[in-house]
Amino acid sequence: MHDLDNQQWRELLARLRRFALWLTREPGSADDLVQATVERALSRRDQQRDAQALRAWLFTILYRLYLDGKRRERLHARWLSWFGRAERDDEAVGDNLEAIILAQADLQAFSRLSAEQRALLLLVSVEGLSYKEAAQALGIPIGTVMSRLSRARNALRELTEGSPQPPALRRLK
Amino acid sequence: MTRLIPTEDELHAYVDERLDPARRAEVQAWLAANPQAAARVEGWRADARRLRTALAGLGEPASAPALELGQLRRQLRQRRQRRWAAAAAVVLALGVGGLGGWQARDATLANAELPMADAVQAHKLFAASQALDIQASDPGQLRDWLGRHFNRVGQLPDLAGYGFKPVGARLLSNEQGPAALLVFEDGKGQRISLFMRSPSEGFRRMPNGQRVDGQLEARYWSHGAYNFALVSAADDVRGAGVGEVLRLGL
Repeated sequence: MHDLDNQQWRELLARLRRFALWLTREPGSADDLVQATVERALSRRDQQRDAQALRAWLFTILYRLYLDGKRRERLHARWLSWFGRAERDDEAVGDNLEAIILAQADLQAFSRLSAEQRALLLLVSVEGLSYKEAAQALGIPIGTVMSRLSRARNALRELTEGSPQPPALRRLK
Repeated sequence: MTRLIPTEDELHAYVDERLDPARRAEVQAWLAANPQAAARVEGWRADARRLRTALAGLGEPASAPALELGQLRRQLRQRRQRRWAAAAAVVLALGVGGLGGWQARDATLANAELPMADAVQAHKLFAASQALDIQASDPGQLRDWLGRHFNRVGQLPDLAGYGFKPVGARLLSNEQGPAALLVFEDGKGQRISLFMRSPSEGFRRMPNGQRVDGQLEARYWSHGAYNFALVSAADDVRGAGVGEVLRLGL
């Protein structure tokens, strides 16, 4: 593969990684997620897609894998609790990411949104996907995209404008 | 006149630049008369901008292992080959089909081109350089130059209101045909550029959009016979306003 391809590939990879990072908020799992996404994409023989569609398709795969992982985690937690070992289910933030969030005041409010809201804002506001593409990537109807977008933006507004609370982050020990 | 009152969905579409131009103008007029709603919309827009800026440099965590496409492919192929080795009789037939598939995948990934990537490229190469075809310090000069080379472009708006003065312009050419890069600068030396070219094969007419590319932000749209892109620093808050003025004026 020559240079230009590599450049485009890296760019695409960086976008996937950024999306995964803000879904999982944990660099290790984000890397796993990206790797799994790329493997899944490579193993599918699929029709030719243009650049924008390819990107949207990869986001779709990544988000499905993320949800599958979540489901397995919940199942696992239930098993553990049956055996009397309850696990706390709050979302923790990995060390590396915590440093980034603390350094970037603007990301504190964002990191407090729910994973669904973060995913949607990333796709629409940062990656520039259309509402239809975002609906496909997240596997929800377009009406849900609009109402979730509205809730996410208002929540972000409140968190940004509201009293500067200390960031509700917990170290992952 | 109920049609004039935008729905919540339309306000979001306004922020994301997904409204058609006519409706966009109506919503804009309505917002001008409704400061409370306008403040709300401006808040959303500011949040989105801050998010883009904050995330602009975060694509590549330093700790992440490099994910090499070639290596991944080889791994997958080896996994397949091991599976196939068990069924020697079908290896050949499947192998041929499999290779075709890999090649098709190659082509797909090679096409992973982002909208107006050449505009961002041109900005990186030429916006800061002195190697411009013409140096123009007044908007009239630039307008004349533009009229000579791109006769189907409308009036170039004056960006002095945003503190930007023309620096010059450069003609470019790539496989998509002729293009031009117009460079503007403010009092502090911050540069933005407007890129225009005839629509390419892949993007005959583009939907309006914007995306962040490293430290840069590109806003792009189609109008008349050309595709346009405004490239500015991702943290430059004037980008949205300048983009708007250019989109309406050109």
